[in-house]
This record gives sequence, structure tokens and C-alpha cells, in this order.
Amino acid sequence: MATATDARPAAAPGGPRPNRNGISERGLARLFISPSITAMAIVALFPILYAVVLSFYEYVGLQQGGFTALGNYVDALTDGRFWDSVIATFVFTVFSVTFEFLIGMGFALIMHQAFVGRGVARATILIPWVIPTVIAAQMWRYMFEVTPGFINWALPFVPDDFNWLGSSGWAMFTIIFADVWKTAPFVALLLLAGLQTIPEEVYEAGRVDGASAWQRFTRITLPLLRPAILVAMLFRTTDALRIYDLPAVMTRGAFGTETLSVLVQDFVIATPNPGFASTLSVLTFILVLGVGVLLVSVLGKELVLGDEA
Amino acid sequence: MTTRAWSAALVLVLAVLAAGCLRGSSPTDAISEDELIWAISVNDRPTHELVAQAWNEAHPDTPVRIEWLPPDANEQRRQLFLELNAGSSLFDVVSMDVIWTGEFANNGWIDDLSELRDQVEGNSLQASVDSCTWDGALWCLPYSSNAGFLYYRTDLVEEPPTTWPELVEVGLQAAEEAGISPYVAQGAQYEGMVVNFLEYFWSAGGQIISDDESQATFAEGDAARTALEFMRDAQRNGFYAPGFNTLIEDPARLQFQRGDAVFMRNWPYAYPLLSGEDEENPSAVAGKFDIAPLPTFDGEGTISALGGFNLAINAFSRKKDLAREFILFASQEQDTQMILGRRSLPPTLQAVYDALADDPAMALLSEVLPEAQARPPLPTWNSISQAMQDNVFPAYNGTKSVDAAIEAIQAEVEDAVSIGGQ
Amino acid sequence: MSTPPAPTSGAEREAADTRRSPEVAGGSGRAGAVERRTTGQRLGKTALLAIVFLWCLIPFLWMFATSLKTTDEALASPVPWQGPWGWSNYLSVFDQGFGYNLRNSLVVASMTTIICVGIGSLAAYAGARLELGKKALILTGILTVSLFPPVSLVPPLYEVWRAVGLLNTYPGMWIAYIAFTLPLSIFILTTFFNAIPKDLEEAARVDGATPFQTFYRVILPLAAPGVGSAAILVFSYAWNEYLLASTFAPRDLGAQTVPVAIAGFSGSVQFQEPVGTIMAACVVVTVPMVFFVLILQKRIVAGLTAGGVKG
Repeated sequence: MATATDARPAAAPGGPRPNRNGISERGLARLFISPSITAMAIVALFPILYAVVLSFYEYVGLQQGGFTALGNYVDALTDGRFWDSVIATFVFTVFSVTFEFLIGMGFALIMHQAFVGRGVARATILIPWVIPTVIAAQMWRYMFEVTPGFINWALPFVPDDFNWLGSSGWAMFTIIFADVWKTAPFVALLLLAGLQTIPEEVYEAGRVDGASAWQRFTRITLPLLRPAILVAMLFRTTDALRIYDLPAVMTRGAFGTETLSVLVQDFVIATPNPGFASTLSVLTFILVLGVGVLLVSVLGKELVLGDEA
Repeated sequence: MTTRAWSAALVLVLAVLAAGCLRGSSPTDAISEDELIWAISVNDRPTHELVAQAWNEAHPDTPVRIEWLPPDANEQRRQLFLELNAGSSLFDVVSMDVIWTGEFANNGWIDDLSELRDQVEGNSLQASVDSCTWDGALWCLPYSSNAGFLYYRTDLVEEPPTTWPELVEVGLQAAEEAGISPYVAQGAQYEGMVVNFLEYFWSAGGQIISDDESQATFAEGDAARTALEFMRDAQRNGFYAPGFNTLIEDPARLQFQRGDAVFMRNWPYAYPLLSGEDEENPSAVAGKFDIAPLPTFDGEGTISALGGFNLAINAFSRKKDLAREFILFASQEQDTQMILGRRSLPPTLQAVYDALADDPAMALLSEVLPEAQARPPLPTWNSISQAMQDNVFPAYNGTKSVDAAIEAIQAEVEDAVSIGGQ
Repeated sequence: MSTPPAPTSGAEREAADTRRSPEVAGGSGRAGAVERRTTGQRLGKTALLAIVFLWCLIPFLWMFATSLKTTDEALASPVPWQGPWGWSNYLSVFDQGFGYNLRNSLVVASMTTIICVGIGSLAAYAGARLELGKKALILTGILTVSLFPPVSLVPPLYEVWRAVGLLNTYPGMWIAYIAFTLPLSIFILTTFFNAIPKDLEEAARVDGATPFQTFYRVILPLAAPGVGSAAILVFSYAWNEYLLASTFAPRDLGAQTVPVAIAGFSGSVQFQEPVGTIMAACVVVTVPMVFFVLILQKRIVAGLTAGGVKG
């Protein structure tokens, strides 16, 4: 991190340089980062490598067959069910992330205000966030189901026997709806943190310059919120691509709601085939990674990597 | 933040760090592997507790301890899968759904109990014993069973129909007159729906595999087509209630209990609930319904799917002799099985049915169970079931052609037969 | 001076601000007293606020109403206020030892948050400020590890945990959680650390502070919003997590968390779905958290700006 404005004694870029305490900056960096690397290597890296290795073997049920290199991958990529779940996953992700952002942004702006009853408003907005996901999923399932049929009863323009969970298209809608309801406050919190860091003066300057409210929002607020938006979007998108709890609980993956993780779980437990399950996982991973990289490069590499972008 | 606030926060953090290093206190002692552990689903918890209690009174030195598995069948299987796949000796006695016998045996997770066959045959229901048999050996002992009933409204229907087409006709008419739905059952995309389908399929004369488990006979004859077309038509012409394709057991029961259906296909568990035996839980149809055997396509006899749980011994258990005694106690002792019978959990010991012939549910069960059909105990049953779920479901909902569905299922059964039993 | 219902969107708020009087009615944040506003605007804002309330509250109210229903008849009816009512579902919930589950969830989530934010901050500081070498590679590597779908990682992890004796313990869960939340926490914290001007650190160094002191006294307070965000993320993940919790602590009340416990509720006979009890458990989980948030909401939001970058 050799910066031009570095006031320290010049040193070879990247070279160790002892400070007063005798620990080089590089050593300190290594010290700081080692607990994280260790934890992740032990817990996350090992099963991932295990899964990757498994994906190259053919399995019949739980019995390991021979090494089949990319055989499983070919099977997966030519399987209609795999592509159906890719589509389902993408549809879910695009819609839920979009709406979470729109609604979350609105919530964040509200929570940022001072008005009578703000505390209550903030607490109310956070209610969906504090309910654990599987519980929220159960709750929405009961509400959308034909019996007892609360949603059908509450909405006057919907017939009493409307089958939300049992129709193609509407089933996906219910899952997206439940996810948006549950997660919008969470996005709001992340955006709120970003909103709070924008200094008042910047808006003052904008006002002095005669910018309208909308202009101030799009030209000042949004750009300054970029780090927060990037973080929230990255997190939500990669999560949405791997969604499991909601479709599993609400529709069991029926009616076009079988997302990638639901498909993988099928091959882990229901019709076990460790090799194929691992293959599907690796493919999911590649997909999620691709989307993540895309997002970061579009929204701002320099935010992540500092000046070395 | 003030120093005081910082100190308070620090204390809180340290307290959490200290607490989070082991495990919290628990009202029960931590499990020790010296105890006899029985893993069973938390459904029917009071009944199983009574069985355990009976054992503990008779064997105070070697009590049994129950590890409760979740109510959802998939979650039960997942927890058993994780334990047994890891070769864990934690569970000694394992309660298995009747369809898991072949799979668990094939994976080497449970012990061969063939030497107990003499003690069991003739005492337990034959269909249940069959569900414990795979590859010529006996792998578990029957514990509880289950069979499908036809529930019908006595105030709307005079005689329970004996054929499916008749059921549809009567149902549609009675429903229209009463302003309710004709029929509720299990139609969601899960194993329960496969059970419903199989009841149509078997009663049309179909057979999934040949008797010697070597051939896939699913697509033979027109049983599959008859069954699928029946379901498709039922969904189309409104015989199946709205929301049928998301119904599982209890929501169907609630709908019938509310008075919103003329007919229901469900397990015997619904009977006491519908009768309003529990004062705190009244039923709108109490006294206005009755039970009957399921219809068939030709009106001859009846067929229902066999459900229930069997008890097996974990192949990695360290207390196999004790476990063996326990499962004999639970499966063959009349007193124990009477506990099940009196609490509306269908038992597997023939003698209990004779003793409880007064109970209408028990009486019907003893009539229906001899005809109950077990799903093939193949190790690969799960993939067959999956294929059925994935194909029957869209077929009856009209999004997949009946022929394509039959073809796909037949292919999967052929695969399963060639793989199974290796 | 009373503050009328404030604008509820950025645009409207800015519009209101242009008409703001010099007097500021206090309160944190940026809005102040507003003098003139048309009745139409006021109604519009109230309506918007009302919609937000309904959106968040109706499901919760339905949950509460359902938890009070004690008979099958009531539960089968869509009408929320269909009686008979009673508290028996709540008794049922605590009979099953739910108090233990609440405690377990709190401990595990707090542990995960504290440790993850702790070592994550260190790693992020190293990534943002200190010389690390191959920084981009390490950061990217860290992030990609977290993108793997956790569903297929469960069986191998289970075997290891069982062998090491981590099943049914708190560390069994938070160790796994930390591994999966570290990457994103580090990512967020790095992003926020990067946004802090370097001059402040230079000043501190000139004054003679060691890198560690710089980190603690200068960087950390300014990174508070980022730390807050990361903490929220991690806590939320740990609180909601079901898959790993149901694998590592499926039944033991000494470690079983709330979502797993609720999935294990059953009626008194097979197939019976205890909807009322499940909803009662949900209410029990939600209400304390809501009160907690209500009381602390000022602190939570203000805490996100501790140190204040605002001039």
C-alpha cells in the first residue's frame, strides 16, 4: 500500500519495515488476518474441497462408483430439471432483490427522519427482521393456504378458494412476497447505516445550488450511498441465489419453485447421490461467483480493493 | 460512549463469551451412551412415553430413553441419515417408516433379525411383517401400522360408494346440494400424494414391480393410465376440492372437520378428532360422519396403502442384546400393543384387534389391514417415489401428459430394479 | 413546537427542507421543524406511514390472533378473531422447554457476532490499511469461500463435528457460523475502512501511535457504521439459521436453537399440525426482540454514527 502521501520513511514497496514495537507492518497484517483464515480454512474450505473432489466421482445411491471426471457435470448440464431450477432461482433473485431494494430504501429514508412516533415506526419496520426465516415461512404458508385461507378472506377481490401455493406463477409470487416482507427491513438497516454517514453540508450545498429534491436524491444521496448499496446488493443477491428455507417450507419446491439449493438438498438426502449433489453444488457456486464478480465490477471495484483497484 | 457504558458493554461481552464456550444447562442430563436409546418421531409422543414407561417398570435396571425426532418425515429421515451414515452408536433402537426398510438394510445401517421371524409371524399382521422383509431377510419388527379410510358424511350420503367412479358421481351431487366440496385427501407434491395415487393404481389392478422384484411392471396393462386419468379428471371437474394440490393430512382433516367436504381419504388418526372426543376441541361433524373401506375401480374388495413404523436395531449399536429385548417387548407383547390400540395408534399385533373389536376404527382396521398393500421395500424406493411425485403431480394438474408421466415413472422403476439389491 | 408527520421519502423530505424555518426542533438526524405544509401533503404522508405500519404489522397481528385460538374449529377459520380463545398454546410452548431455546439462540447469535466482528475487523484492517501483499487475491479468496451453497457441506461437516465432540454444544454452532459469515463481514468492514481518509492515520502516526493504537483510537470509532452493519448482518444470520443448527444440535435442549425447536413441535397425535402452538412460539420470539428494538432504537441508529463523520 505505497501511497504517494506516505509521510513515513521511504521503504521498498511491500518490504518489511520495523516500527517502534519491532513488529513489521507486514507481520502485523499477517497476525491480524490469520485467525480469520484459520477459521475459514478449517470449517469452510475443507468441506468445499471435499465436495469438489466428490463431484468427480460417480455414485449409485451411497455407493461410490468410479472416477468419472466431468461425467456428472455433463449429466447435470443436460438435465432439464437443472435448467428449470436455474430459471426459478434467477426469477426469484431478480424480483426479490429489486423489491427489497425499493422498499428497503423507502424504509431507510423513513427511519432516518425525525418525527413524532419515530421510535415506534422504527420498531415496527424491524418486526419482520426479527422473526426467524423458517418461522416466517411457516406463517406465510398458513396465511396463503386455501384452508384456513386468511389472505383469500382478507382480500375482497380474491375468491375464497384461490390456490396461491398451488398454481404455477402464483407459487413463485408467494415466495418472493414472503422474502421481500422478511428482508426489506434488513436491507433498510444496511442502507440506513450508509445514509447516516452523509454529512448535512453536502445537502446544504445542493440546496444552495438550487437542486430540486429529486435531483438531490439522485445526484447526492445515491452516489454517496454506493458502498452501502454495493454491500447490501452483493449480500442479498448471493443469498437469494442460494435460497433454501422459503421454497422448502412453503411449496416444497413444487410449481416451478425448485431453486438450486432445494435441488441439491434432494440429492443429498432424499435420493442420495453424493457425487451428483456435489456437482450441482459446484455449478451453483460457479453461478453465484459469476454474479458476484459481475456486481462488484459494475458497482465499484475500488470500494473493495482500496487504491489498488 | 461514557466509560461506564463501555465497562458495562465489556462485562456483557465477557459474560456472553464465557457462556458460549460449552453448552447451556438443560432440564435433562446430557445423553450418555450407556443408556438404551430409542429414536422415534415426536408424533404420538404420549403413546410412546407410555410404552417406555411400561418397559422401565418391568426393567428398572435398564431403562430406555427416548430421543425425539421431528414430526416431518423428511426431517426424521435426515436426522437418522446423518447419524447412521456416520456410523454413530448413539441410537440403539431406530424407528423406521415402513418404506425405509430396503434402503436402510442395503446401506448396512440395521441388523438382520431373521432369527426372530418365528416369534413374529402369525402374531403380527402379515402386511406389516412383509414391510420388514427385504432380500429374504427380516430387518425389523412391526410396531405401528396405518391404512387409509374413506370418511363420509352420513347426513349427505346414504351408503358409502364401493367404486371410485361412483364416489365421484355421488360426491359431486351431494356437494352441490350442500354447497361444499366433494372430496379432500392428500394432493401436495410429497409421499402422501404417492400413497393416494397408489391406492387408485393398485385398485385398478396395477403392480409396480413383479413379485420376484426383478421386473418393472408399472406400465403394464392400463392401471397406470386409469389411475392418472381419474386424478386428472377429478381435478378438472371439481371433484377434488379447491387447493387440493397443496393439501396434506391435517389441513384435509380440518376441512372435513369444518364440514366443508362430503368425502375424505385419510388415516385413522382423524377419527377421534372428528368425533369430538376432546371436549376442548369440538367438531362440527361429530355424529354426522362414518368410516368405510376405500373403494376400488371394479367394486370388488378394497385396497389401501400400508403405513406405520417398524423398529430396527442400529448396526453400530453397542447394546444389541438389550435392544433386541426392547423391540420384542414393544412389538410382540400384547400389553404394550394394547397401549397403542387404546390410544388410536394402529397396532400391529393381531390379538389386539380381536380384543378391541368394539372400537369402530379398530374394527374397520382389522377389516382393511389384511388387504393393505405395502410399497415395494426396495432400497431405491425413494427415487421411485420421487419420480412418482415429479410426474403424477404435473399429470393430474394438467401440465404434463399422462403418457409422458407413465413413461418417465416406468423408466425410473426399471432403473431402480436393476440397481436394487446389489 | 410540535413536529407534524415528516416526509416519508427522500424527495419529499428535501422538498420540505427547502421550506424549513431556521429553528430546529431538535432530535437526532437531519429533519427539523417544518412550518408550512399543505393538508394534502400531510394526509399523503400519513397515509404512506399507515401503509408501512399495516405492511409490517398485519402478519404479526394475525400471528398473535392465531396463537390465541385453542380449538381446531377456530384454527380452520380464516377469521382472525374467531374464538374460542385462551392462553393454552403459550403454556404448551413453554412446556416444551422453549425458554431454553430462546437462551440458546441468544447465546449463539451473540457469540457469533462478537467473535466474527472482532476477528473480522482485524482482518479487514489488515486488508485495508496494512501491507499485506497479494491483497486482492486474499480478499477475493475469502469472499468466494462463502459463496458455496451450504446444503451440500453438511454431511462431511457433521462427521467431523461428531468425531471431535462438537455436537450439541454452543461452539459447534458458532464456529461454523463464524466461518460462513467472516467473508462477508470482512468484505463490508474493508469497504468501510477504505472509505476513511488516510490523513487521520497519518496524523496519529506522526503523534507517535503504534498501528494497533491507531486502529483502536482512530479507525474503529469512524468505522462504527460499518461495524454496526456487519454486526447486524452476522446476528441476523445466526438468529435465522436453520440448516446447520438442525444438524449440529437437533434435539438437546442445552444447545437447540429456536428455529429448530419450532420445527420439532407436534400435535398430540401424528399428522396433527399444531398451528396455534407454532404461532405462539413465534410471538414469544418476536415480542421481546421488538421491545428490545423499541427501547434501543435510538441507540441502535445513533450507534451507527458514533464518532460522527458529519462535520
